[in-house]
Amino acid sequence: MVRLITHNLLSCHVKGCTRNNFPLRFQDVKVELREAEFNAEFLRNFVPRIEWKALVDAGKELGDTSLPEELPEMLGDEFLKKLHHVLLEIHVEEGAMVCPNCGHVYKIMSGIPNMLLTESEI
Amino acid sequence: MSTKAVIPTSASSDSPASYEETYVHTIYESIAHHFSSTRYKPWPVVAAFLASIPAGHIGLDAGCGNGKYLMAPQEREGVYWTIGLDRSVRLLDIAKLAGGRSRECVLADVLDNPWRNGAFDFAISIATIHHLSTRERRKNSIQNLLNCLSPSHGRGLIYVWSVRQDELSKRSIPSPVEKTNSEHRGQDVLVPWVMTNSFASQKLEKMQSRETEDSPAIFNRYYHLFEEGELRDLVIAAAQELDTDEGSPASEEGSSRCIQIRPKKYIEIIRDGWERSNCYVEFRLYQK
Ligand SMILES: [Zn+2]
Repeated sequence: MVRLITHNLLSCHVKGCTRNNFPLRFQDVKVELREAEFNAEFLRNFVPRIEWKALVDAGKELGDTSLPEELPEMLGDEFLKKLHHVLLEIHVEEGAMVCPNCGHVYKIMSGIPNMLLTESEI
Repeated sequence: MSTKAVIPTSASSDSPASYEETYVHTIYESIAHHFSSTRYKPWPVVAAFLASIPAGHIGLDAGCGNGKYLMAPQEREGVYWTIGLDRSVRLLDIAKLAGGRSRECVLADVLDNPWRNGAFDFAISIATIHHLSTRERRKNSIQNLLNCLSPSHGRGLIYVWSVRQDELSKRSIPSPVEKTNSEHRGQDVLVPWVMTNSFASQKLEKMQSRETEDSPAIFNRYYHLFEEGELRDLVIAAAQELDTDEGSPASEEGSSRCIQIRPKKYIEIIRDGWERSNCYVEFRLYQK
């Protein structure tokens, strides 16, 4: 599956593409919303690991504008519920992710992003 | 001859990628469902490693296969997350719903590094890098693990087949033909996968196997079997090329008095052992 928890970790790895290669931009996506179990302990500890701006922007690309531009200092339940939804309940089933630097297109099929490169790109 | 006998081989180094395509990737695509049906019990060392992962941590399973390590014991599901990476789409189709839950999986090679540097708290690579057919490629795959781990606290576990096989496995490993130098440690072999007929029904599987009317399909998969100490040495060599020295945080107080502009990177080998026909190395990264 490509949920935003994974998108927040991926960057373009085409040979020589080492700058401005994160975050990948979504293109022509088909999204499904599926409930996931809420776990406040996971989310609280996971927050410092997130590239926040990338997550907020990716949420917007997928039509969710619920996250604040700045990470709040107090991680209350209401905020964690929104974060949970954006990170773990929006599934990108089909479409692509495009590198902002070199334009490489990583296709997503049946929820699985294809990060393989051809030999000349490695 | 037992069906578990392995065949000594020497991998072609002219085109390791296409060699692995034939002797590893194509085979896993073909045997995916049968293979997956035999892979459900976690190795004790891996289970213990995953049980020690704190809440909120995120990890990578490089070579996740059917996703058995993407699952956690019931009470720890969702406490930490493991992202699966594999080269087989058909195994990922199983992995993405491992244990009846949605899992996160990406299609990639362990020689690829499609991750933000230092993004993961932990990484495992279980029964995977022994399918890479040169030392250089095995070392590169370890370097990808090191690069995607947090340099300040990233933890890793690598698990590969050993030349020393458990009596229960009934695999007989031929003794190494000749030892030339340290570049040629361990043993390259082809290990037959015997597909039972109930799983050999899919068209692709039939086409790619040497199946006849009465006999089961046999697929020979390439393995590099590691000898004692080889995996540890390879992990350390991989780290050193990334300016990461072997160390132990406990034994180094006050050893360096010069002012460092950037913190120096270290790798600590936590455990280096053998379990049921496999060698493993557990390590941790830290900075000073
Ligand atoms: Zn790029």
